[in-house]
Amino acid sequence: MFKDLDPILHSQLRLSIVSILMSVEETNFSYLKEETNATSGNLSIQIKKLQDAGYIKVKKSFKDNYPNTSVSITKIGIEAFEKYVNNLKHYIHPK
Amino acid sequence: MENSTLTPEQSLLLISKTIEETKKRFKENGHLFIFWGGLILVVIGSQYMLEFFQLHKVFDIAWTSILFPLGGIYTYIYVKKKVKKMNMPVTVIGNNLKHITWIIGMNLMIMGFLFSDKLGDANGPVFIILFSIMILVSGLSIKFKPMTVGGILVNLIGLLCFILHPMYYGYSIMLAAIVGFIIPGILLNIANKKENV
Repeated sequence: MFKDLDPILHSQLRLSIVSILMSVEETNFSYLKEETNATSGNLSIQIKKLQDAGYIKVKKSFKDNYPNTSVSITKIGIEAFEKYVNNLKHYIHPK
Repeated sequence: MENSTLTPEQSLLLISKTIEETKKRFKENGHLFIFWGGLILVVIGSQYMLEFFQLHKVFDIAWTSILFPLGGIYTYIYVKKKVKKMNMPVTVIGNNLKHITWIIGMNLMIMGFLFSDKLGDANGPVFIILFSIMILVSGLSIKFKPMTVGGILVNLIGLLCFILHPMYYGYSIMLAAIVGFIIPGILLNIANKKENV
């Protein structure tokens, strides 16, 4: 039905993740979990899908002896998001 | 959150809601502005007191060189704790504010401790103008008008100092602290509280 809409972004959780990453420079897994109210398992799967598509960058490290997964959006991700929003506008206000 | 697909309208709504919620979460509060405004008032005000009691030469430098660095340490600890407690993400605005505050803060300290003799009468105005840049950039970045207006007023106070007698510089700095730090800080706290009601 929405054939021009990027299938990677056209899902509730993945779109939320990318929207959050559009507003911040970098964040971590627990922040995304808190903001999206998603389960850890589901969030991990969606993050992996976005990472595989090259839309986000995931960096694993240790912070105060605890594992820390930081996530940020890539240039490809920003372009895809902008294209997705433009396509949405065409659906809502078709010329 | 489910992983369902959305209609275009739902998608747009989700995007704008998520971005709005994220912005709200890392809004600055006025605590540090009030703290620094108060600290400047205490340091400069007490210098006038020391002068009045003719203790100026004994305590002046020690007093200034203890309180301002202590303020810097407190700010560092406060920001670090806040970031950790609220699990705040790194933002472009937050990063820019942090950098400009540290750059101007360090320059103020270095100028104050090492080059105040060379600056001579320009000491007061230069300090106030540097403060005004810090306040103005903060106000414009977080889009908070009272802070932007405070920054402009402090800038004008700084420029006005060039035509004032140096004996009034201390009063000008105290006025700048009230107009540029304390009042915008209080208004920022009020605005944040109203938004959270």
